[in-house]
Amino acid sequence: MELIFGPSTQKSSKREYDAIVIGAGPAGLTAAIYLARAKLSTLILEKLVPGGLAATTDKIENYPGFPEGIGGEELTSRMEKQAVNFGVDIALEEVLDVDFLSNPKVIKTSDSEYTGRGIIIATGTSPRSLNVPGEQKFRGKGISYCATCDAPFFQDKEVVVIGCGNSGIQEGIYLKKFAKKITFVEFLPHMTAEKVLQERVRALDNVEFLLNHQVTAFEGEEKLTGVRVKNRETGEEFLIPADGAFVYVGLKPNTEFLKGKVEMDEYGFIKTDEKLKTSIPGVYAAGDVRTTMLRQVATAVGDGALAAKLLEEELGG
Amino acid sequence: MGLLKEEDRKYLTSEFSKHIKNPVKIIHFTSESNECMYCKETMEILKEVEELHDLITLYIYNFDTDKDMVEKYGIEMFPATVIEGEKDYGIKFYGIPAGYEFSSLIEDIMDVGEGKPDLKEETINTLKDINKPVHLKVFVTTSCPYCPTAVRIAHKFAMANENIKGDMIEANEFPELSQRYNVYAVPRVVINEDRYFEGALPENQFLNEILEALKEG
Repeated sequence: MELIFGPSTQKSSKREYDAIVIGAGPAGLTAAIYLARAKLSTLILEKLVPGGLAATTDKIENYPGFPEGIGGEELTSRMEKQAVNFGVDIALEEVLDVDFLSNPKVIKTSDSEYTGRGIIIATGTSPRSLNVPGEQKFRGKGISYCATCDAPFFQDKEVVVIGCGNSGIQEGIYLKKFAKKITFVEFLPHMTAEKVLQERVRALDNVEFLLNHQVTAFEGEEKLTGVRVKNRETGEEFLIPADGAFVYVGLKPNTEFLKGKVEMDEYGFIKTDEKLKTSIPGVYAAGDVRTTMLRQVATAVGDGALAAKLLEEELGG
Repeated sequence: MGLLKEEDRKYLTSEFSKHIKNPVKIIHFTSESNECMYCKETMEILKEVEELHDLITLYIYNFDTDKDMVEKYGIEMFPATVIEGEKDYGIKFYGIPAGYEFSSLIEDIMDVGEGKPDLKEETINTLKDINKPVHLKVFVTTSCPYCPTAVRIAHKFAMANENIKGDMIEANEFPELSQRYNVYAVPRVVINEDRYFEGALPENQFLNEILEALKEG
């Protein structure tokens, strides 16, 4: 039995910082550790819970140093404790607006207003919706985006996992501990998950794979009873009976509140140069939120360290 | 053998000494029934928490035999745990406060020990005007990282206004209740039976949901 608790962060009355990091996932926490060790006063602002998307991952097996793998929450809560130990303040407040052009830069949150000489944006991503009929209606009534949260409700039930990337397969393997049967649906003609995960999921009993299939609708009355899919080759449409559906079809950047404040790509990811600088001096972006080739804990912590170091130099640290 | 690691025990003891200024009573209702999934484990956790600070006292009652206490605290199921300070605020845990919910338990104890909920001034002022009963049921699983946020707000609101009661309900241990409220994703917050929302809303939005529910009622 695990007893989980984070470092209790006392509400600080401090409003002026050297550096403000937005987002307390692996990228933000790593950046804060490096900034604090450079003796810059550092605040992390976090909207939801420290740890980010990584904290909802049942097991992380490709982050070096943990030969048996490590729970996502355990890994990120260690990072959080490490940051707090070096004197980082963490405030659980949502950023509502920013003024990156003033000096120092101003950040308005749900609770307060802060200033920082330098900013690192590490807000990460959220699971993307499919935007097909029924998705809104059955959200929380069979459709879920968090397997670790909701898997117990599907004990001995039939579920569909949509998306065969790393997240879909990894979470599907976890769900299989509860669910009786899992049907995996993938839009592409092949899975994109790591080969080691593909092998592991194919070895499970009572799993089925529908590659090159597109989800067209979620169906049911009060709650979800099935997922309608279309074979992209033959055009044939049919219904997969299901009590639950878990959606892992990619990630959308958490950058709504930054529209018009920094340059973004067409999908809303933040554009940076090789020094992780955004279009605004003194503002960096790190981790999954920026335009990058790979979104992993390992790449996020690398980004966090680099952004912190370069910001320190820019601030004349 | 303890459930808490030595370093965690030390850390929590030092945190508790910073926050706890008033006595905190953990009123626990258990049962010997086989139906109780985690009664034994829940008691183990509470016993370890009691040892973390001198001002924390654990009182253990039997759900089946201590009828007067069951009635006094309005206990409906077991295991149930009430965190009480100078009075009973209406802070309840139905089911095991393990996994992520251990953090809810710890932070509730610190709030109650400090004698005030960790809420924004404007939230406290708005809460003062609520003069009708509000019963918040927060359905959770112990593996849900977003759930403690919802539980904590419900419990803080309960501390701030005597008309508000907040129950954490661990959905796995109470499958019939979870089914009755159609819980398939957590956190799900049910306000006075009819209105509900899902997800961890920030303090002010959570408060708005309550105000809307009261308008409808």
